[in-house]
Amino acid sequence: MVVIIIPALMRPYFDGANRLEVEASTLDAVLRALDDRSPGFYERLVEDGRVRPELAIAVNGEVYQMALHERLAPGTQLTIVPAIGGG
Amino acid sequence: MRRTQVQATINGERVEFLCEPRQSLLEVLREELNLTGAKEGCNNGNCGACSVLLNGRVVNSCCVLGVELEGADLTTIEGIGQAGSLHPLQQTFLEEAALQCGICTPGFIVSAKALLDKEPHPDEHRVRWWLANNLCRCTGYDKIVRAVLKAADQMEEVKPV
Amino acid sequence: MTTVDRPSYKVIGTRPIRPDGVEKVTGQAQYGADIRPPGLVYGRIVRSPHAHARILSIDTSEAEAMPGVLAVVTSRDLPTAADKVEELGETAVNLRELSENILAHDKALYHGHAVAAVAATSSQIAAEAVTRVKVTYEVLPPVLDVRDAMRPDAPLLNENRHTKAMDGSLSEKPSNIASVVQFKGGDVEAAFAAADHVLEREYSTSMVHQGYIEPHNSTANWNSDGTLTIWTSTQGSFVVRAQVAQVLKLPVSRVRVIPMEIGGGFGGKIPIYLDPVAALLSKKSGRPVQITMNRTEVFQASGPTSGTHIKVKAGIKDGKLTAVQATLSYEAGAYPGSPVGAGCMCMISPYNVENFDLTGYDVVVNKPKTSAYRAPGAPAASFAIESLLDELVKRTGSDPLEFRLSNSSRENTTMVTGVPFPRIGAEETVRAALDSPHYKSPMEGPNRGRGVASGFWFNAGLQSSVAVSVNPDGTVNLIQGSIDIGGTRASLSMQLAETLGIGYDDIRATVVDTDSVGHNDVTGGSRTTFASGLAVHEAGLDIQRQMVQRASALLNVPEDNLEYVGAEVRSKSDPSKRISFTEIASKSGQTGGPIVGKASLSARGVGAAFGTHIADVEVDPGTGKVTVLRYTAVQDVGTAIHPAYVEGQIHGGVAQGVGWAINEEYYYDEQGHLLNSSFLDYRMPTTLDLPMIETVLVEVPNPGHPYGVRGVGEVPIVPPLAAIANAVADATGHRFTVLPLSPRRIVEELYGL
Repeated sequence: MVVIIIPALMRPYFDGANRLEVEASTLDAVLRALDDRSPGFYERLVEDGRVRPELAIAVNGEVYQMALHERLAPGTQLTIVPAIGGG
Repeated sequence: MRRTQVQATINGERVEFLCEPRQSLLEVLREELNLTGAKEGCNNGNCGACSVLLNGRVVNSCCVLGVELEGADLTTIEGIGQAGSLHPLQQTFLEEAALQCGICTPGFIVSAKALLDKEPHPDEHRVRWWLANNLCRCTGYDKIVRAVLKAADQMEEVKPV
Repeated sequence: MTTVDRPSYKVIGTRPIRPDGVEKVTGQAQYGADIRPPGLVYGRIVRSPHAHARILSIDTSEAEAMPGVLAVVTSRDLPTAADKVEELGETAVNLRELSENILAHDKALYHGHAVAAVAATSSQIAAEAVTRVKVTYEVLPPVLDVRDAMRPDAPLLNENRHTKAMDGSLSEKPSNIASVVQFKGGDVEAAFAAADHVLEREYSTSMVHQGYIEPHNSTANWNSDGTLTIWTSTQGSFVVRAQVAQVLKLPVSRVRVIPMEIGGGFGGKIPIYLDPVAALLSKKSGRPVQITMNRTEVFQASGPTSGTHIKVKAGIKDGKLTAVQATLSYEAGAYPGSPVGAGCMCMISPYNVENFDLTGYDVVVNKPKTSAYRAPGAPAASFAIESLLDELVKRTGSDPLEFRLSNSSRENTTMVTGVPFPRIGAEETVRAALDSPHYKSPMEGPNRGRGVASGFWFNAGLQSSVAVSVNPDGTVNLIQGSIDIGGTRASLSMQLAETLGIGYDDIRATVVDTDSVGHNDVTGGSRTTFASGLAVHEAGLDIQRQMVQRASALLNVPEDNLEYVGAEVRSKSDPSKRISFTEIASKSGQTGGPIVGKASLSARGVGAAFGTHIADVEVDPGTGKVTVLRYTAVQDVGTAIHPAYVEGQIHGGVAQGVGWAINEEYYYDEQGHLLNSSFLDYRMPTTLDLPMIETVLVEVPNPGHPYGVRGVGEVPIVPPLAAIANAVADATGHRFTVLPLSPRRIVEELYGL
């Protein structure tokens, strides 16, 4: 089970829920599971095989730009956040 | 454009070279003489990265023409010390971590040398006043000022009584 | 230095001299503009004199006819770029926007936007040729300020741009607002209604520049075999290679990027500007081409950080910060991509706040496309919230640091993203600030004041590759692909020495080109000592394993009865059976060949950074000049690998932050011309503008790194803006909400001029 925290602007897609639990072992699978609940959601987040450039995924609080196909441990907490660039 | 012949002493060696009258000393050093230790940071005298000693005085080489070198004595960073025989300033810059990216370092060492040649015992304010023409964006100057003060102390210690 | 649970190390925590030091103090180090390949010619860029203009025609014939001119290029020489986003390491880039920023296609979007380029046999001829390229423009009205650009009737930079929401949906009407983000938690309205004190203010900051002393440069040679070699000054050679390959449509393997020493970056040397242009000029001229920007070009047309407007409201109940509501609007420059998202995510991170509603707008304006600048997005957001809290806390009568202590984020405090913090040192920095000699000293004298502020930055992990080669004499070469800006050859060598138990001087670290090691993301996000450090540690463990294998043969002891301890391998059961690192190294040829350790990874376990700063200032009531009398920066640095270099990072961040607070700003006229594109007029701090900067290194080791490393480079620029502004408010009794606090602004506001 993986927990995904839904940002405020995306909550309308999930009846206002701010966190959902999903049975999946990669981010890609998580997003596809969310797509089952809200058809079209996957396409909103993934573009050309990667998470949209304006966005990133925080995995247990750490922001990753590219982790669509990395294995996620059970209990992992995911968050959709805007992309960050470091100086 | 017609090139002019110039004779000068650079880092203790007699040198003859040709340059265009419109070329700055910085351009001549870097493009004609392959002395690239003096850096271009602004090309208008505001950053000090191109500092050299012209007849013992600190100048921004970007604001001097190459032809003005005729008959002059010039010291660049390349003439101040080499690996194995570093100038005390070069040594204290290393020990005190007074450089990060290092692009401004030659200019600071040249400027600081001119200060210590003239005034062997500067205090912190005097060092800051003297080096205010040299910009550094990495260090906040703290460690640079300490390195110059430390070099001054060390040079005093080794001087014969 | 305050240290929490620190193991004892042999090399970590010492202050050795950096391997690149001697070359740098003797002027021998080779920076990008120092390289002189045989046959070198000089390139120069033709730039738009207008902030917003349609390019009607470009006539290059007169320039091309000049003696000494070898090539002229325009955007027509660039392959057509798809309107598509490509993954380029740390950040993804829209290829069409990247290509248009390198050489404007149909529109110039800012004063100094590159339009064409020439190559000539001397830099003087190139400069003259630039004036002979005739460009016809249709001048359009520019939009320069973030609030003006957001108005519905504002001139549009791109008629096809619509506001993108976080869910990817687009606004119906075109807009300069490229995107909007929002973070929401709890119920701000209810919390404001229940609060004892509520205050709302608006704050503005101007566009500012990283101010690295070395201008951008690139030298390219289109080789006769069709491969391309680029010598350049960059924070990420692999990211340059990827971008150049994409823009020029070349296979990545045919582009070799040789990173030269870099004269400062701070985030500004991540994008590419000159490299593809130098490459095209080289292809046309058949010669290696070098382009260096002058200082004016650096200011006009590289990647400063956003000017901002931030409206923020906060509420306090019973001494607790209960609610924060804010709207952050950041200038992206000519193309989308301001750090407003990071600004929202950093703004209240030092505090445990239950109710928040933060909205961020990324807005295009006719100014250069912004790039990263040290903790991108955080300083302006911190300036707003820390100024507001200072004012608000004064009303409650508490001490500003005691307030921060009781409201501090801790392990498991939830960030605005909804994710809990791992072990962090936020509260430790506040406590150390409270205990500092500086804070305990009295603040006396007329026109003087003290201010404090806290700040947060995420830090980054990303990808690193290293190789470590053990030589037969027991010395080691560390091959790194991460760019060394401020001492990472030293900080990585130190971690390797610690892992292998050998001396720092036995290791020689070299930054190599893109053909010579695996991919490394940029030196940015304060990641190199952390992430490449992780890779170095893994490569060290790889060598330990190989050493144990070799020792097994040499000692005739089974591997499982051997252990690597210090710089030797010994038998677990009979410690008299032992063999040194050097001896194993000397026999490597007889035991199976060279010993090379390797590691490639995507680093996980990043430790966030917090800092708390104290500033004392004096404000001259006659001239408005702000003098910084004393400054202390407290920071959780995880483990200080090389404490002097950590202090140096903090000093540098503070200096940039002080400049941002007091003097630095981009100054445009109404037509969008940048008026202060020199170091004389864009006034960065000099030796005379700063005192010694006191540092307090708090070490709360990062559990995600074997040596507890946290990135240290960025967070020190976050608190100074508010610390200085709060000190100025304390000194003058007047609250300034617009930066910089230049003499003119101070005098104008104090006396209502």
